[in-house]
Amino acid sequence: MAERPEDLNLPNAVITRIIKEALPDGVNISKEARSAISRAASVFVLYATSCANNFAMKGKRKTLNASDVLSAMEEMEFQRFVTPLKEALEEQKKKDKDKKTDSEEPDEQDEDNDEDEERLEEEEQNEEEEVDN
Amino acid sequence: MAAAAAGSGTPREEEGPGGEAVAPPPQAPTGAPGARLSRLPLARVKALVKADPDVTLAGQEAIFILARAAELFVETIAKDAYCCAQQGKRKTLQRRDLDNAIEAVDEFAFLEDYLGLSGHTQSNQMNS
Repeated sequence: MAERPEDLNLPNAVITRIIKEALPDGVNISKEARSAISRAASVFVLYATSCANNFAMKGKRKTLNASDVLSAMEEMEFQRFVTPLKEALEEQKKKDKDKKTDSEEPDEQDEDNDEDEERLEEEEQNEEEEVDN
Repeated sequence: MAAAAAGSGTPREEEGPGGEAVAPPPQAPTGAPGARLSRLPLARVKALVKADPDVTLAGQEAIFILARAAELFVETIAKDAYCCAQQGKRKTLQRRDLDNAIEAVDEFAFLEDYLGLSGHTQSNQMNS
């Protein structure tokens, strides 16, 4: 349905919420400004993807991974994003682990990487399990 | 012969039919500062990533980080645009505040061509 990649807009409601939380109370945003920001965010993702893909290709990988994206951030001069992104990634990994241990009672105290291997099987998108920086 | 229904010594359930033991906590505590939910739908971010013809595959983590980065970006650009609005003593962010922010901040230079800035004729690109 979208004619161009830039037209793949992210949901307005979410964009608006993020903007409002970033700004002090009482500040509003015009529809045009909001829609421009939404568009800018789409462009940002496209641009970041392209940069990240360059890093993946340099590493002779076909799958974009987290470190590619982080490298892209630095390349795009958004280094300040790198730390919060790494933290977010760590949080997400913890949540995933918690979900796993929730379904399986932690009776076994084996510290093997069985869980990780299970994750690998489920997440077939990650072809290569590289150490992420 | 007592049925083994009532605990035979180990009250723990070794079989979890559907994880009924503990109710999983709702994703993340919203009270903690800095602990925000990734609210941009990963599906849409994935669609954007796939729009790039050079991209073959993208891992889940990559999509997740891109979504978070996009959120950070929205925050950043909103705040920068707000600085311009503040100078005009307005409380509503206008499109031109955004345009000004894009022109003023080097990191946003990649947006100049895409947003189709109307009324701003860039005579020469001052990119270093």
